[in-house]
Amino acid sequence: MQGITYFDLRHVTGESTHIDIDNSVVESAGTSFTNIAVLRVLSGHGWGILQIDNYTPCKGKKFEDLLERARRLAGITEEKVVLGEAPSGILPVPPIREDPYEIPLEEKSALLAAIEKGARSPGIVNTRANYIERVENVHFSDSSDNEFSYRMTRSGFNVLAVASRNGDLQMGYEREHSIHGFNLRHQEDTGRKAATTALALLDAGAPKGGKLRAVLDPELAGVFAHEAVGHASEGDLIFEGNSVLKGRTGEKIGNEILTIVDDPGTHEFGFDPVDAEGVAVTRTEIIRKGVINAFLHSRETLAAVGNGSAGHARAMPGEPPLVRMSNTFIEAGDATEEEIFAECKNGIFLKGSRGGQVDPGRGVFQFNAEYGYLIENGECTRMVRDVSLSGEILTTLHGIVLCGNKRVMSPGYCGKGGQSVPVSDGAPHILLTDAVVGGSGLD
Amino acid sequence: MDWIDQLIQEGTKAVDEVEVYYGEGTSVSADLKKRTIHLATNSIDCGLGIRVIHKGQIGSSSTSNPGQWRKCLAAAIASSKLATAQAWEGLPEQKPLPEIPSSFDPTMKIEPESARDLLSRMLEGAETHPADVTSGSAGLSSVEVTLANSNGIRYTDHHTGVSLSLEAIYKQSTGYEFDSAWSVSMVDPAAVGERATFFARNSSEGEEIATGEYDLLLSPLAYAELLGGVFVPALSGRSVHAKRSRLGEFLGKSVVSEQVSMYDDPHRPGPGGSIAWDAEGIPTRRIDFVRDGVLQCFAYDLKTAYRYGRKSTGSAVRGGSNGLPSIGHHNFVVDGVRSCVDDSRVLYVNNLIGAHTANPLSGDFSVELSNVFWMENGEFQEPVRSAMFSGNVFDLHHHIAGMSQKSRTVGSCILPSIKINNQHIIGK
Repeated sequence: MQGITYFDLRHVTGESTHIDIDNSVVESAGTSFTNIAVLRVLSGHGWGILQIDNYTPCKGKKFEDLLERARRLAGITEEKVVLGEAPSGILPVPPIREDPYEIPLEEKSALLAAIEKGARSPGIVNTRANYIERVENVHFSDSSDNEFSYRMTRSGFNVLAVASRNGDLQMGYEREHSIHGFNLRHQEDTGRKAATTALALLDAGAPKGGKLRAVLDPELAGVFAHEAVGHASEGDLIFEGNSVLKGRTGEKIGNEILTIVDDPGTHEFGFDPVDAEGVAVTRTEIIRKGVINAFLHSRETLAAVGNGSAGHARAMPGEPPLVRMSNTFIEAGDATEEEIFAECKNGIFLKGSRGGQVDPGRGVFQFNAEYGYLIENGECTRMVRDVSLSGEILTTLHGIVLCGNKRVMSPGYCGKGGQSVPVSDGAPHILLTDAVVGGSGLD
Repeated sequence: MDWIDQLIQEGTKAVDEVEVYYGEGTSVSADLKKRTIHLATNSIDCGLGIRVIHKGQIGSSSTSNPGQWRKCLAAAIASSKLATAQAWEGLPEQKPLPEIPSSFDPTMKIEPESARDLLSRMLEGAETHPADVTSGSAGLSSVEVTLANSNGIRYTDHHTGVSLSLEAIYKQSTGYEFDSAWSVSMVDPAAVGERATFFARNSSEGEEIATGEYDLLLSPLAYAELLGGVFVPALSGRSVHAKRSRLGEFLGKSVVSEQVSMYDDPHRPGPGGSIAWDAEGIPTRRIDFVRDGVLQCFAYDLKTAYRYGRKSTGSAVRGGSNGLPSIGHHNFVVDGVRSCVDDSRVLYVNNLIGAHTANPLSGDFSVELSNVFWMENGEFQEPVRSAMFSGNVFDLHHHIAGMSQKSRTVGSCILPSIKINNQHIIGK
């Protein structure tokens, strides 16, 4: 078509199934249907993007009409977008052990009820369990005759237990989400674990805020990598000038033991067989041995910024691709857990994650643990709750002085630009000196 | 629409009641990268949500393809068979609705050129201060929503919307500002540009602050983050009966300072949440949650009301056509005695980092502050480089010492700046 130099179309159809059980009542359970496409066009300047609900694949005049509408949108853009060269290609989707799609809703509901029941115990006033399953059939095509199709199934559950005493409410929360198939069987203990945590938190104290030595468990250390380093390495933010990592390639911002990676090809919850603009996914070492090594890119930001690889463009169904993390982790080191706690000696052990946020331009991040323990003489003692950690990207990483020898990944979702995509974060246990810990305790 | 009648007719052959929620809309937006327009988007949205009730069992499904309503209806009926049966006294019937001011601007042009004009006016405003624009967005939308049920309800609502945002940076200091309304004439793009670059430029070169107790002035934006994630959900009848609300035992008791009132005002002229009927077809009304500091009531939808022998407060909302109705609010207002809260020296906090990590049940939080200034005699003074703020959202409400004269709309909340004394700040 005249004037159009590039287009791509990403069409997603699928079904999502959910079950919500609250205090033993099945509040809702059912299936909904999605059919949505996004068409992107370049015609000399910036992007013209059409988002179409209820898309029917079409050819000839009908498709040309869509292209023309997108081209007209692009007419107001001013920026000259150049797409970097990047290899296209698709990885096989890992086989599913037991396909949740084939399991009747009744059976799923009964299994979820057993998990919710597992969370009920004396002192627990509310238990709630949710199941979510998303099946997406993705079809990608572009003006360079690249064409990919794949089917992804993600499923999993959350269980919440609320403990109450004298007006104090505390919660224990467990979640398991997977790309490897149905995971509701034999999980009653997960419900019990949520209850145990909620009850224990009733007796936990509030930590005193200030600078401390902190041991982070793999889940929280993973969120640390995601918030403190991952976002600031995203090529679009670098290009906009909205990241403190801009122009710092080769600069040492952490210890030799610190290597931070994003790899969409790893078979974890953030897995993508191909990125959202048809580029083959690739492993990117953002920090290598403490030195800023490479950024995460789309084809566009690769051309505009350089240093790094494309293959990190991701999108929610029907949304335009953004540069995103997928599976982000701190590589394992060689310290044992015992060595880490002994080296910490006195400080705080932070476990689990309630999420975090970063201002990449200012270089300031914050994230919150589910709970923690004081460390005294290398041993975990009193339980503490509502502990957060904040810091500055360019100085805090030097404080990672030990990395454990076993890495664990945890699933989650990451929000950016109004889009939420599945990710996983992970790390070994790490020891962080000079951690700025927030808490409202006074002793 | 004939197919909706047909759907309801077909559905009631199998179940007691059927409810249809159908939305159609279009939106256009344009995004800046630095100071140039990088992309323009047009979105054509449609969504159908079906809810069925049979002998107290509630089922639902949704689809973005209304042509496949039969498949969606079958899924909703299958879903109802799994749900636990509950007390249910029927979907509402058509009733006279309250007169409310329109939130529809028939002159709004949902065109890329309109978005471009808004962006240029923001960029003009951004010239006021020497900071670099990093990104920005302007969007216009129009949505028509129809609610129909097997008891004869056929309501339609037409909303337009415009939204703006801009981000800026000066050295290592960032600024953000936004605006939204139902009509283009009601937003001020130049002010959005000016404020974003003001915060970026003037937050720079801040001094550290010592750990200690300080009097804070939280901007409506910062306050909305704490209020919306913790306090407002605790007013939901469902949270109360499920024992997930810390306010559950406080009816008739003091929950905030006595000069503060909180209410949902669905009939207010101006904000986008104004509507005459809720997501289940109950006529909306003002709900006074907190009057002069004392908790008066909780919010209910039909399901929760029937289950616990209460009345719906017209508080059902839907996140879109693909969700079930749930308890929410239309325009949540914090109001009361207003005063000059920035005369004496106070620490002004424009934004928070990490407010969503607050404990949603206990209300305990610890956040990093953003764009913090000393303020005196109504003027911004020297900036503060960085600080953490820890506390409890519920306790903090008892320490509200004042509210600013002006309020602003942040999402679905209409809030003043609030002054809270003696708050714990962790410095460096």
